[in-house]
Amino acid sequence: MWFYFSIALKNVFRQKRRSFTLGINYAVVTFILVLLFSFSQGAIRNITTNLVRSTAGHITISGSYTAAGRVYLGVRRYPEITAAVRQVFGSTVKTIPRYVVRSALYYKGISKRLDFTGVDTTLDTGLKGQLQFVKGGWDEFTSASNGVILPKDVAEYFSLNLDDEIVVAARTRFGAFNTGTLKVKAIYESVNFFAQGLVLCQFPFTQNLDLGEKDTASTLYLYFPDTRDLNLKRSQLSAELVRRGFEVNKPADASAAIDAVSSASPTYKVDTSGADSNRLTLSTIDEAVGIVKIISSAVNAVGAVVALIMLFIIAVSIFINLRMTINERLREIGTMRTIGVGSGGITSLFMIENVLLALLFSLVGVAAALVVAVILVTLVPLPATGAIALFLDKGHVVLIPRLQDVAGVVLLIAAFSALFSFFPARRGGKIRPVDALTRVF
Amino acid sequence: MKVIRQTMVMLFLTAAAARSFSAAPPGDPAAERIARGWEARLNTEGLDVTSMFTIVQKKQGETDRVLRVQTFRRDSSDMYTIVFQYPDSEKGKGYLRRGDDLYFYLPSTREFVYKNRKDNIGSTDARTDLFGRQKVLEQYTASSAGTAQVSKWECSVVRLDAKVPDVSYPVQKWYVRKSDGLPVKVENFSVSETLLATYYFIEYKSLGNGKSLFTKLLAVNNLETGQQTFLTNENIATSQIPDYTFTKAYLEEKSR
Repeated sequence: MWFYFSIALKNVFRQKRRSFTLGINYAVVTFILVLLFSFSQGAIRNITTNLVRSTAGHITISGSYTAAGRVYLGVRRYPEITAAVRQVFGSTVKTIPRYVVRSALYYKGISKRLDFTGVDTTLDTGLKGQLQFVKGGWDEFTSASNGVILPKDVAEYFSLNLDDEIVVAARTRFGAFNTGTLKVKAIYESVNFFAQGLVLCQFPFTQNLDLGEKDTASTLYLYFPDTRDLNLKRSQLSAELVRRGFEVNKPADASAAIDAVSSASPTYKVDTSGADSNRLTLSTIDEAVGIVKIISSAVNAVGAVVALIMLFIIAVSIFINLRMTINERLREIGTMRTIGVGSGGITSLFMIENVLLALLFSLVGVAAALVVAVILVTLVPLPATGAIALFLDKGHVVLIPRLQDVAGVVLLIAAFSALFSFFPARRGGKIRPVDALTRVF
Repeated sequence: MKVIRQTMVMLFLTAAAARSFSAAPPGDPAAERIARGWEARLNTEGLDVTSMFTIVQKKQGETDRVLRVQTFRRDSSDMYTIVFQYPDSEKGKGYLRRGDDLYFYLPSTREFVYKNRKDNIGSTDARTDLFGRQKVLEQYTASSAGTAQVSKWECSVVRLDAKVPDVSYPVQKWYVRKSDGLPVKVENFSVSETLLATYYFIEYKSLGNGKSLFTKLLAVNNLETGQQTFLTNENIATSQIPDYTFTKAYLEEKSR
């Protein structure tokens, strides 16, 4: 085999123009696929990280509860859930409550509906790292019970400055309107897509504004030091919560997980069961980003279709190239057959030539993709505004090329090349020596 | 010191909010009598009322928004049906109120959304509470808040504090004409007693038997400067309405 391999190696660039034309196709397909897979992987990692840093936990607990025939969104008896978490996992797991209220903000005759997120400033300190303060700061916010941190665009919309007072009017969970006055204590920007629109207040403020009971939160975020086996951890916690009288379930699908994680402003419906209950939904971060995985799979699929079309063109090129090569090298084939090289040997020779060409140029494609990835990740800053911010980390696109993806692409192209060169190569191998030396195909 | 003061303010607000529902002030017989008086005049028990409301919403810097709704009202059964007639984008939508339950019908999805008697018609300042039977003494505790002059009328002022948390405005002040017991102005407050909206009852039409219906009403949004909604009630008829009109099926049929 080494014999054929060494000959094939010498023959790869015998027809330089033809080899380069085909090789560039291999390189382009590899380049596209490697960048696409890197982007998908980067998007999933980036979205997961940014979500966890801002608006989701490794496990997010949301839910609803029924009281006196009304169903309210939110988590009731949350201190007991915190105790259950501590009992099951110990004190290394951090539990953070949030209380979100949808409300209208009024200032000098202008109004806008916004989500006001109540944070426990003693526990929810990780969020601070996601905010780049333009004015004021976290400490000013924590020292004022009616303080509010506004995104820069909201502050600009209302022309708000530090210590300006704003009025918020919300329909409470019971239906009655409630109002409150907030004082601007900080204005921020964020490169984290999920932190960009957060209007932050103190947890007790939003809870009072909504007339929520003292043991009620919108959601609870659980942060584990080790994020492996989240499903198992959820099962362990679910068992303890059921023991404590909660009804526990997990989201039915990715969409339900998103709904569970983003549950906001509690509202109520009529309950037909007639019994008071506490229902919890425990969603893992993998489920919450499940929809991202579905989307990235779809994007990958589109990329794969494009690659398939290109590969089809390559298949035709391989076929034509090999037929031309065999025609040009008939005397060579005849000579080799005459000195005892079998039909399989000839077939192998042409196949190895093609596979080598594919491997060589797909590696060039991989190298080019990696260079471009490094340039994009380190040297090309992008504006972290709008939907594009979803894919950015600190203003740069996140591309994560994985060895298994790269190896998979290279092997796929090599296998493809082997498959489509086999048929014309076998045809070349079957030519009898006398025919090869006397005829032109 | 500042933190302590802010915490005290927060605690006070919370306590005030809790107090407004759990321990509403005891009823004041004189104020309750006034409230019963306007309820008796505005509630149209014994009559089925059909009318057409034109709702004009004015917002600063925006073109006026006009809605037209046909209403069917039967106070004896605490029911009403509202069917949107204009504009075309709203046509087919409607409300059905049966007791404490309010359903909003969306023809696009053929869906009834449960609203529990609180909603703003077409996102205007006109609340659905205005279109049906008044039940203030079931939901609020009445107390006298003195007298006041509103326009040319000498009025008694009645303050209402909610007994239950599922009313839109937990505190209200009704300004009632001493001459005929009809309200001319209602101030609506939030739990923390911020003035949210003011209704001005500009004109009434008598239906006979001491019953009246407002024909012109101005709803002013006190939080949003320059936003107000003007309601005109026309084509009022008191002939009997078929029972079928107060069903979900009727709303579905009207949307086709």
